[in-house]
Amino acid sequence: MSQTADTRHSQGWDFEAAAMPFVDSLYNTAFRMTRNSEDAQDLVQETYFKAYRHYDKFQEGTNFKAWLFKILKNSFINNYRKKQSRPLQTDFAEIEDAFENRLSDEVTRKIKSPEEEFLKDVLDEDVQQAMDELPDDYRMAIVLADLEGFSYKEIAEILEVPLGTVMSRLYRGRKLLEHTMLEYAREHGYLRNGSPAKMRNREPSTEEYRDKASR
Amino acid sequence: MDCRKVREVVFVYADNEMEGELLISFRHHVSICPECARQTVFAERLVMVVRQRCVRALAPEQLRQRILTGLRHYRAGDRGTP
Repeated sequence: MSQTADTRHSQGWDFEAAAMPFVDSLYNTAFRMTRNSEDAQDLVQETYFKAYRHYDKFQEGTNFKAWLFKILKNSFINNYRKKQSRPLQTDFAEIEDAFENRLSDEVTRKIKSPEEEFLKDVLDEDVQQAMDELPDDYRMAIVLADLEGFSYKEIAEILEVPLGTVMSRLYRGRKLLEHTMLEYAREHGYLRNGSPAKMRNREPSTEEYRDKASR
Repeated sequence: MDCRKVREVVFVYADNEMEGELLISFRHHVSICPECARQTVFAERLVMVVRQRCVRALAPEQLRQRILTGLRHYRAGDRGTP
């Protein structure tokens, strides 16, 4: 019994030293997923406690950071996904398939050359909001890849899905992001008729009115 | 590799996750197809926008303290928390 306590004690210090450096990364991901600080803090705290309880199950020499993120992902799915009922999510694949083709044509038409892309004028708030609007699965894949810098292999490990699923979530997520940001660019007046317009030109053109009316 | 395949895997390229034969034939196609080259540049820029424009949230100090306190309680024998 005392031996167990000793092992646990020394293990505890190892755990803290190994796990605490990832608190910002875990919190950032949790915040992106829950979209509020209180839930994000609860989620990260739960992740640490769970990880500590199961520290003996962690295999030495494997990716510890990815292991922590896997616990975070599972906690999120179990506790938070239910709370945030997003009606969009259920039929999402169909809707998305329907506009995927339209999307590439639209973008092809709107953007004449890489230099004229709306992306360079896109507002930070619009990027944030477009991210927030993504379905959970896509958002998590993008956060792990682009904000946390995980490789595809690590993301597959964290999400417990095949590599192909990682690729397709990133693909679909980014296409959606592109679509949403393009919408914002149009609404906020920094994309007009294929070339980026500056914020001072806020009045929609007749073509845009027609676009909106026909939608 | 044809245009359709290039568009399918364009983000794999943008993420630096492409290698071997696939990478060679991707690069070859893009070098002879201006439209796919443009789409590739666009994909790279889209990824960059997310990487550069999304502000990272930092863990509040109180969270660190909550975690450390919780872990110490647990070690001290209080099996209720965590």
